[in-house]
Amino acid sequence: MQTKRRITEIVLFVITLLVAVVFFFPIFFNLMSAFKSNAEIMRDAIAFPKTLYLDSFKYLLTETEFPRAILNSLILTVVAIVAQVLIIPMAGYAIERRNARWTRLVFVYFLAGMMIPFQAYMIPLFKELRMLGLYGSLAGPIMIYVAGAVGFGCLLYTSFVKGIPREVEEAAEIDGCSRYGIFWRIVFPLLGPVTASMVVLNGLGIWNDFLMPMLVLPSGQAKTMVVEIYRYIGEFSSRWDMIFAGTAMSVVPVLIVFIFLQKYFVKGIASGATKG
Amino acid sequence: MATSIVNTDKSFTAAEKPHKKKKKWQSYALLFILPSFLLYTLFVIVPTAGSVYLSFTSWDGISSDVRYIGFANFIEIFQSPRVHNALKNTMIMTVTLVLLENIAAIAMALMVDKVRWFRNLFRSIFYFPTLLSGIVMGFVWAMILNYNFGVFNQILTSVGLGDYIVDWLGNPKYAMLSIILSTVWKGAGYYMIIYLAGLQGIPQELNEAASIDGAGGWQQFRHITFPLLAGSMTVCMVLSMISALKIFDQIAVMTDGGPGFETETLTYIIYKVGFGELRQGFGTALAMVLFLIILIITVIQVKFLQKREVQL
Repeated sequence: MQTKRRITEIVLFVITLLVAVVFFFPIFFNLMSAFKSNAEIMRDAIAFPKTLYLDSFKYLLTETEFPRAILNSLILTVVAIVAQVLIIPMAGYAIERRNARWTRLVFVYFLAGMMIPFQAYMIPLFKELRMLGLYGSLAGPIMIYVAGAVGFGCLLYTSFVKGIPREVEEAAEIDGCSRYGIFWRIVFPLLGPVTASMVVLNGLGIWNDFLMPMLVLPSGQAKTMVVEIYRYIGEFSSRWDMIFAGTAMSVVPVLIVFIFLQKYFVKGIASGATKG
Repeated sequence: MATSIVNTDKSFTAAEKPHKKKKKWQSYALLFILPSFLLYTLFVIVPTAGSVYLSFTSWDGISSDVRYIGFANFIEIFQSPRVHNALKNTMIMTVTLVLLENIAAIAMALMVDKVRWFRNLFRSIFYFPTLLSGIVMGFVWAMILNYNFGVFNQILTSVGLGDYIVDWLGNPKYAMLSIILSTVWKGAGYYMIIYLAGLQGIPQELNEAASIDGAGGWQQFRHITFPLLAGSMTVCMVLSMISALKIFDQIAVMTDGGPGFETETLTYIIYKVGFGELRQGFGTALAMVLFLIILIITVIQVKFLQKREVQL
């Protein structure tokens, strides 16, 4: 019995290990290939790099608009996330606590947006940005990201605000704290875990987004990292070293953030899925 | 003692204070909700309404000539073989993706739940691909599956399966399969996390009791684990279906809808028609169809799947 159990354990471990190797291979392959020259990649795609070839990184960072694209990606992600965290929790809190007919209507109105796919409104959106004079600046995409996060964000925050006892707020109110004060000093810190989940998940979504920045940021200029990589795939179609270096540079930050904030990603998915 | 003080305090001021408090709260609530409301209305609802309008026009996206043409776009959608093909591809992709992603996710969740060593490491490895952009991973897969230099064909040759080498992305027979499998690789880890949470919610005693009664591993899975995962399954099925209907990035990088129109899906055709072929009126009409499909399927699916959920 004991040995039989031991054997199943080992078999299961070996199977899991094999699947894990298959899963990890593309990422490993990407990072490895970034340090190979184009000739090396063409000659033997699967071999380890013979030398640490860094020219493709150097070229991308000095001769192309890639640095600007990295900066754009960073600005978009950071500013949009900060704006989301400033705006959406307040709305979720007010909808939950001020339970009136109009707030319930607003809530349904917000939730309806979760059903609308971006493709369903991207064409008029493009036109609207031009009309508002936002085409060509990063402000447009930032507002679009905040607007797009309202539905799901409110859903998350209202359900978590429910779990906070009202007594805490009442005590602060008696002490003369205003609504703003109550929210930012007492409620918001208690919502920390939800905020963390929202930040990592939405941050990732923005960092990886492709279609929207490609459409609404002006062509000819550096857009975001992902869009720039997409452009290089056409432009450097025979220079795989270049594209591998670019993709590696977009994968590494995600890898680093993931290693440090792993538990928030996992919690975010689990809580987002059950509350949603 | 303390509560009685609070109570008397409340009843004492009940006559006038709550009313005033409510009114004050009202203006705060408005202030709290207003920024979200404005942005959401301006950048989601207004353009969606714009889409509804544009779908009845023959607008090209550039000129100021926005001509109302009634249902002509929708009639064309019904008649166009290219759209039918894209719809068919979307359906094939969605059904296979939902099945494969969920099967893979449940299998991976069971593995990670049961395996004895390096549990967290395995979980991270399975989960990590979901964090990467579809463009980046689509590109890496395109390189792996490349006919001439790709690693996959190289591996096939070196293990003596050289006869099975094909152009995975250029051959119409395999292009769709390649996209589907790489998407499963990219997406399954996300659903694995949800299933894992579901698995950890199943009380251990149930399995212990069953194994005392003589139920084997498969029987335990079939009669205990699987039915009790129904809640997670509803969520995962809906999420995987919506994301499969919206699949875009991988197609853009791996095949560009080709070869021919072999991997052109609804989302891809919307983009191609609207921005590549400058028929934005027609593109938005297609987008409205996509929106309706997502809406209808989600509602049916949630209703249907919730029926078979077992409450603990």
